[in-house]
Amino acid sequence: MVFSDLFFLFVFIPAFALCYLLAAVIDRKFSSQDEARCFRAKNMVLVMFSLVFYAWGEPVYVFLMLASVFINYLVGLMINKSEGRNRRWALAAGLVINIAILGTFKYLGFFCGILADVGLTLAVPKIALPIGISFYTFQSISYLVDVYRKESPVQHRFVDLLLYISMFPQLIAGPIVRYGTVADEINDRHVSASDFAEGSYRFFIGLGKKVILANQLSEISDQFLVNGLGTLSTSGAWIGIIAFTLQIYFDFSGYSDMAIGMGRCLGFHFNENFRHPYCCDSITDFWRRWHISLGSFFRDYVYIPMGGNRRHQAVNIFVVWFLTGMWHGASWNFIIWGVYFGLIVMLEKYTILRIKDKIPSPVLHLYSLALVVIGWGIFYFDDFHSMQTFFNAFWGNAKVATDFVSESALLDNFWLWVAALLFCLPLRHVLSEFVERSCNERRVLKQSLFFAAHLSVSLVMLICSVALLVGATNNAFIYTRF
Amino acid sequence: MKSDKAYIMILTTAVMAFAIVFDTFPRSRISELEKRELATFPKYSVDKLKSGSFTSEISSWFSDSEPFRDDFMTLSMNIKDYLGLAASDDQVTFHASSVPMESSKQSVKSKSIDQDENRVVGEYENDITADENAKIANAGIIIVGKGDKTRALMAYGGGPHGCVGYAKAANEYKATFGKKVNVYCMVIPTAVEFYCPDKAKRCTHQERPTINNVYAHLSDSVKAVDIYTALGKHAKEDIFLRTDHHWAPLGAYYAAMTFAKVAKVPFRGLADYNRKVITGYVGSMYGYSGDIAVKKAPENFVFYVPSKVKYSTTYINYTINRDYHVTGEGKPVRGVFFAHFRNGSPGAYCTFMGGDTKITQVRTSTKNHRRLLILKDSFGNALPGFLFYSFEEVHVVDSRYFTKNMKDYVRENKITDILFANNIFKAYSRHTYGAYTRFLKQKGDTFAHNI
Repeated sequence: MVFSDLFFLFVFIPAFALCYLLAAVIDRKFSSQDEARCFRAKNMVLVMFSLVFYAWGEPVYVFLMLASVFINYLVGLMINKSEGRNRRWALAAGLVINIAILGTFKYLGFFCGILADVGLTLAVPKIALPIGISFYTFQSISYLVDVYRKESPVQHRFVDLLLYISMFPQLIAGPIVRYGTVADEINDRHVSASDFAEGSYRFFIGLGKKVILANQLSEISDQFLVNGLGTLSTSGAWIGIIAFTLQIYFDFSGYSDMAIGMGRCLGFHFNENFRHPYCCDSITDFWRRWHISLGSFFRDYVYIPMGGNRRHQAVNIFVVWFLTGMWHGASWNFIIWGVYFGLIVMLEKYTILRIKDKIPSPVLHLYSLALVVIGWGIFYFDDFHSMQTFFNAFWGNAKVATDFVSESALLDNFWLWVAALLFCLPLRHVLSEFVERSCNERRVLKQSLFFAAHLSVSLVMLICSVALLVGATNNAFIYTRF
Repeated sequence: MKSDKAYIMILTTAVMAFAIVFDTFPRSRISELEKRELATFPKYSVDKLKSGSFTSEISSWFSDSEPFRDDFMTLSMNIKDYLGLAASDDQVTFHASSVPMESSKQSVKSKSIDQDENRVVGEYENDITADENAKIANAGIIIVGKGDKTRALMAYGGGPHGCVGYAKAANEYKATFGKKVNVYCMVIPTAVEFYCPDKAKRCTHQERPTINNVYAHLSDSVKAVDIYTALGKHAKEDIFLRTDHHWAPLGAYYAAMTFAKVAKVPFRGLADYNRKVITGYVGSMYGYSGDIAVKKAPENFVFYVPSKVKYSTTYINYTINRDYHVTGEGKPVRGVFFAHFRNGSPGAYCTFMGGDTKITQVRTSTKNHRRLLILKDSFGNALPGFLFYSFEEVHVVDSRYFTKNMKDYVRENKITDILFANNIFKAYSRHTYGAYTRFLKQKGDTFAHNI
């Protein structure tokens, strides 16, 4: 199931809300007798609905996720009980198991394919990729490492660990929520009216990003990069990949907004996953703003333990970026994409970052965006022939420079392009600062303005999204396939 | 804060209102917009559950059959329309002359067909919509013009060497029935061939080379019917529907006239017909293109009922399953050839015979011992009505629905002329060739369960 699905919005969510409210009543009844039971019914409902949510798309692999959580639950207890060498061994065993699960279901076919290519006669297994496996495996690793480092307490209740891993708001496409971020909130959380209002608003913003912007942009990118690849003009290549650049941002950040919003409505505070990445002034800066939860995961669990910038930094950077690319999928283009950014980040350390103050800001932005867009060109095509065709057209080596289809894609979606470009900027932040400044001491006026803006934006997002979702069939989020 | 509580109240009410409508109101079953039956609740099986298809079909069903679906779709198209810039009169146009295409080199004039053979189709130059604005909508559909003249065109993807199977089918029929039966081959071009603006020509292929290829592959004894030239000459008239993928009855009239000349049968002009008009017609291209501009440009559906000839129509109706396979055949029943739809009805093209899933037999007061069998798709439905003055019997068989043995059918009904009348998309499909050759071999009553 995906968030931008009418069934999710108008069957799953109302049913969940109803059951969750009933569970809250039960919890309140028992809380006077036993404080610890305060969240048990609510957590149980959340877990049950999360399992249904996952099983809706993966009716068989839901058992793989349950098994994975159970193993991590046991390993967590073992790490907690042991000290010294045994503690390290327990962690190592846990990491090996998690990586083995991920390796088997995500990368085995890829590796066997490589071995087959170099002459070894191996049957390439065809294993379907379980949705969200990269996300929940990384969350499991985060749990084990945090417990090992004694940064978070071990989870003694299986159901509560299952809740952390499987919680439907962030289960299949992140953000990668670190155990420490929500450990305390699993059994001690409070939802104020302000939390719920903020969470709902964030959810509708995310829904609009996905349904109104990303889905429409995907039609443009598909038109050029899938259906029109054979007759791609140079302008078509640029328009197609810029449409994809915007699409993937609104698709993924929309999902993160919806996840963070739903989490907030339930009393969880997930960390931000995006900070206007296309406003970056270097590639290093871009990766501090894009998929922050993945970047910080690799920084804290790979880069720094390997030595960070203290020893063999170049190797550490290369490994992190190789893994970043590979995390996205079992395909060479993702690895090349990761290494491409790794090399740029490394080069920037010795060049641009040292003289950044002397370079005009627009030049830095243009430089960064150009490299990001080229990166998406590598990311988009998982077969090299298509990638070559695309880049030939992209660099001007097409039969025609521009054509009617490009003109149509620009003019007939003019306001979509304008909206997409505007919403890449920190528009909300700028507007709210403007209102704050303008209203100054007039608190009531300020509140009224915010209320009217939030309400009208939310209603417009809801109504437009519902209209655009009726009859929609191809509506999956891009990052659910990672 | 109070404002937070108010916000929550209003938003919750809005979501709940949607939930009540979507979860409790009767679900839509047919989309008039897309002219199709909507998804039904999936059948359960353990295998489907395990594969995930059962749950995904539930989601699709829920999304596809929403209450007020077409209203939401219309709103959705309006939203998409607002995302574009309104076309202006002084918009820059890209002329085909700047694009290396065969068509741009050749377009000179409309000349007549080869006088002896009808085998070489003449060229056509579009001077009606060549400089019009255009845009690409869903499924590569080209939207031409603006306002009440908006026209939606289905891009053609066939090549100049394709469609040979269609010619082969006609050849096989001729070889099977010999001299006793005349066989004619008509390829019906579509609107994109006549109304595609220069700037959009790269989005579609030319149909003329394919048509020429079909006619070049016909055996000497099969007669080609070049309607391309006739339609080209009358392209300024309403020979194609602007909002539907079909041609207009007037286009079928000119095609029937050409056919009558080739078949050497009498033919009457429009003066001998009663002109009927259904106003406010919006056809299938609205649903296909998803472009609100098409809906905002309704047209008149004009058809012609012969007034000076007597005729009676008998139908052998087929029942079909959800996969459009024939599951049963009804007994012959008398019916009307021309149904009358109300103004604004999106199903107006079904005026002729009420659709495709049947064999139609029309017996006329014309007495010339000529009995015609038309093998067709839905484009062909508009043809028979113009041939009641020309043949004493007109039989109509759809290439998708026929369960009898064709040899028996032709013999039993004393057919003297067989006309293949498919649109170029259908003619290009190898399934059409397969179906026509199967008709010759199949035993009677070939239903879905024994194919």
